[in-house]
Amino acid sequence: MTRAAIVLIVVAVTGPALPLVVWSVSHGWWFPSVLPDGFSLRAWNYVFQSDAGVFTALFTSLGIAVAVTLITMLLGVPAGRALGMHSFPGRRAAEFLLLAPIIVPGLAVFMGVHIFFIRIGLVDTALGVIIAQLLPCLPYMTVIMSGVFANYEREAEQQARCLGARSFQVFLHITLPAIMPGIVTGGLFVFLVSWSQYVLTLLVGGGRVITLPLLLFSFAQSGDHAIAAALSLVFVLPAIVVLVVTSRYISGTSPALGGMGRI
Amino acid sequence: MKRIWALLLLGGAISVGAWSLGKTEAPPADESARYRAMSWDQITEEAKGQTVYWYMWGGSDAVNGFVQGYVSDRLQEEYGVALKMVPVTDAQVFVNKVLGERLAGKNRNGAVDLMWINGENFRTMREADLLFGPFAGKLPNITFVNTDAPSIAHDFGYPVNGYESPYGSAQMVMIYDSARVPDPPTTIEDLLAWIRAHPQRFTYPAIPDFTGSAFIRHLLYYVGGGYQRFLGPFDQDTFNEVAPELWKLLNGLKPYLWREGRTYPETHAQLQNLFSNGEVYFDMDYNPNIAANLIRQGRYPESTRTFVFNSGTIGNTHYVAIAYNSPHKAAAMVLANLLLDPATQLEKMKPEVWGDLTVLDVPNLPAPWPSRFAAIPRPPSVLPPDVLATHKIPELQAAWLDAIEKGWKEHVLQQ
Amino acid sequence: MEGTRTAAVRGITRQRLTVLLLLTPALVVVLLLFTGGLALGIIQSFGYLPAAGLTTFTLDAYRKIFAMPGFVRSAAFTLFVSVCTTMLSVVFGIGTAFALRGRTGRAATFVYQIPLTVPHLVVAVAVMMLVSQSGLTSRVLFQLGLIGEPADFPALLYDPYGVGIILVYVWKQIPFIGLITLSVLQSVGENYEGLSRTLGASRWQTVRHVLIPLLLPAIVPGSIIIFAFVFGSFEVPLLLGKSYPSMLSVLAYRLYIDVDLTMRPEAMATSVLIALFVLALTVLYRFAADLLQRRRL
Repeated sequence: MTRAAIVLIVVAVTGPALPLVVWSVSHGWWFPSVLPDGFSLRAWNYVFQSDAGVFTALFTSLGIAVAVTLITMLLGVPAGRALGMHSFPGRRAAEFLLLAPIIVPGLAVFMGVHIFFIRIGLVDTALGVIIAQLLPCLPYMTVIMSGVFANYEREAEQQARCLGARSFQVFLHITLPAIMPGIVTGGLFVFLVSWSQYVLTLLVGGGRVITLPLLLFSFAQSGDHAIAAALSLVFVLPAIVVLVVTSRYISGTSPALGGMGRI
Repeated sequence: MKRIWALLLLGGAISVGAWSLGKTEAPPADESARYRAMSWDQITEEAKGQTVYWYMWGGSDAVNGFVQGYVSDRLQEEYGVALKMVPVTDAQVFVNKVLGERLAGKNRNGAVDLMWINGENFRTMREADLLFGPFAGKLPNITFVNTDAPSIAHDFGYPVNGYESPYGSAQMVMIYDSARVPDPPTTIEDLLAWIRAHPQRFTYPAIPDFTGSAFIRHLLYYVGGGYQRFLGPFDQDTFNEVAPELWKLLNGLKPYLWREGRTYPETHAQLQNLFSNGEVYFDMDYNPNIAANLIRQGRYPESTRTFVFNSGTIGNTHYVAIAYNSPHKAAAMVLANLLLDPATQLEKMKPEVWGDLTVLDVPNLPAPWPSRFAAIPRPPSVLPPDVLATHKIPELQAAWLDAIEKGWKEHVLQQ
Repeated sequence: MEGTRTAAVRGITRQRLTVLLLLTPALVVVLLLFTGGLALGIIQSFGYLPAAGLTTFTLDAYRKIFAMPGFVRSAAFTLFVSVCTTMLSVVFGIGTAFALRGRTGRAATFVYQIPLTVPHLVVAVAVMMLVSQSGLTSRVLFQLGLIGEPADFPALLYDPYGVGIILVYVWKQIPFIGLITLSVLQSVGENYEGLSRTLGASRWQTVRHVLIPLLLPAIVPGSIIIFAFVFGSFEVPLLLGKSYPSMLSVLAYRLYIDVDLTMRPEAMATSVLIALFVLALTVLYRFAADLLQRRRL
């Protein structure tokens, strides 16, 4: 029974990859054939062709995701420390405010501030998209870091200070190594959220900032299954890489990893 | 102390909010006079080094390949202008964009330079004063086009007046699988009879899909006894007289349609999927060459063929227009001009490239162009140009489309 | 005495300053984007947009959208999809977690976690290829002689029940609930379970009276998150859903990009309602989490 369930799970999880792979090399595949009539590399040629813009989209996605990750680290680590280690009046309010964007849909909130972005000239720019993506991404980093800091032991810092270390040295040699797993988890997590973002890039990017999900959506909608499948496979690659990397840092299970279900 | 901070914060928030939503300056005076005074050489000189952002429908890798390959290369090599194609899923997206920019007072450095535009969207933008022009008359290659031809001088009935430059031509064709339909109907009458004799094998995309809307217009012409009655501005009386007949026809057809007409494919792409998998036996498209493209991509069977009705099928022109706030107007005009170059039009018409019909007045082109156009090889799924030309009937004015679309939703979809 | 007190006060002030410095950058971003976005959205939903010539505050937009049959149907459809997804995710999440419990080797856990990282659009594309009427599943059934043509296969995409959409989200969310379950089961679950079995309870009794209550404090907040997320979702319904009725975010977007600017307040009203509804859920989440936390202690 358990074995059957496990087989089922493995099939359900890895199964969908199969049609993607086959579609990406198919030429003439119609009902009711279970295998394509012919094979062709048209879709992959399109992906690797330089003027098609797939690689540009890939690098745009990558660049934006890296930028968003770095910025959320810079902002989220201190915020997490404040929430996790200190108690102060207004803490609950700050907590609520910083975490609400995880649940409230980005589009609903962003539609309001869109006109501000137009006025200030941030639309159609990668910078605008990066700032917009901070909205869903920053809360995740903050949550993870506040969890890390809640379990953090202050004593090591205090001892170092007693021994004469300056704040900067304390941070670099004591704090950072201790919270590094948290930062890496949060960073990879935020990377994935940014990588998969669609609607905010669509709204703020105005069609000029073309990321991989936008390209994929366009082909999926136009019915060209072969190219949609090829793009999907390219798109999902970093996600699998992230998974492999995180499962080294986090053995077993963790609610933080579980939070990835929201990507 | 806290109160002061709170007040400052609130005040700051309110001013930012007011600034975002508030009224903006009126746009600057129209620049077209300046460009009219310039010579073409001066315009190409100004364009050099500019980048032109062309917003267009991006759902076909054939079209994308043509624009980002041939056109982009020539533009760079011959004029020093860089082309950035911006694909959109629907023209409404960039209409809304320019509108949004005007709203936000962004009157100088708009994001949109050139747009692939048609009919209703053209009218919307003209009436909201969002286009730069007139500019088409300035393009040297416009002499190759017969700008007086009704299908070119009017875009869905709205006078072009140089605010758009044509660059291609489309005509509706019906697509069928000759392996499944060995003896296709050639008149609308026959098609309707075929549908009744073969239930569940035909459907059309739901309005507001562009192709679905075009198909309905053919039925309107059929029910109204010909297209002549509908040329010219929208006439409520004519519509009130003919529309009920149209709805009766469509509703009567429902039980014989795919899924008994209870639902329709939402987009043309979905209809294409139904056709390729043999769920329905007919497709329809504005591009007479599409079947050849799709066969080549392996998405349609080799036996796919096309036909037009004896009474003709609707044809229209596609154009490019320039946004009022484009910062690269010279580059946009150079691109529009390049699109009208006979070499570009020839390349575009090649079936293995895009297959889009030319908008040039071929017989009156200088030699050797007429013979080159005639020599374009034609795959079996594509109809000969003379057949298409002799079966071309005009589009309606945009106001008719609105009425038809509204009426279809009310009288056919929601019944 | 005096010295200690001043030092204490200075200590607290210093701490407050530290907190302020740590929090401010993040708070500024959130205030600008989140509260700013909501506030501007609310203002515009009241019909105030001087740039377009609308200068009076009115509740018209709200009145209009409730009168739109499309809005009410969209809301109903969105609720339906969200509820179904949440329920199915919880049931199968807990179920698969129980099945995996004994055998949590690295490989099985790794595979189980894959859906968490796969982007929604990719899942949507795969679902499209698998369950459309002429998709792979339908073709296999044909080969097995169970159906004769695509129309015989049920319509799971562009259908009135959003089955395809639900499939995408359930596939993604089962491991989410599953991992939460596993984490609880593996930490305290084993002890309680062992205790319960020693005391003579049957397997089923153990599950029902011991383990499930143990899981609730973690599962309930998780389900609320899933519900809220699916409720506000955009790209999957845009790709796999019918256009009428569509899910609420899609409706809001369509209203927003309408070239008729007088529809803007309605678009804002729709998105404000989505945001407020989900915010109410967040409050519920905190309330439920706190309540269940207190109960457990």
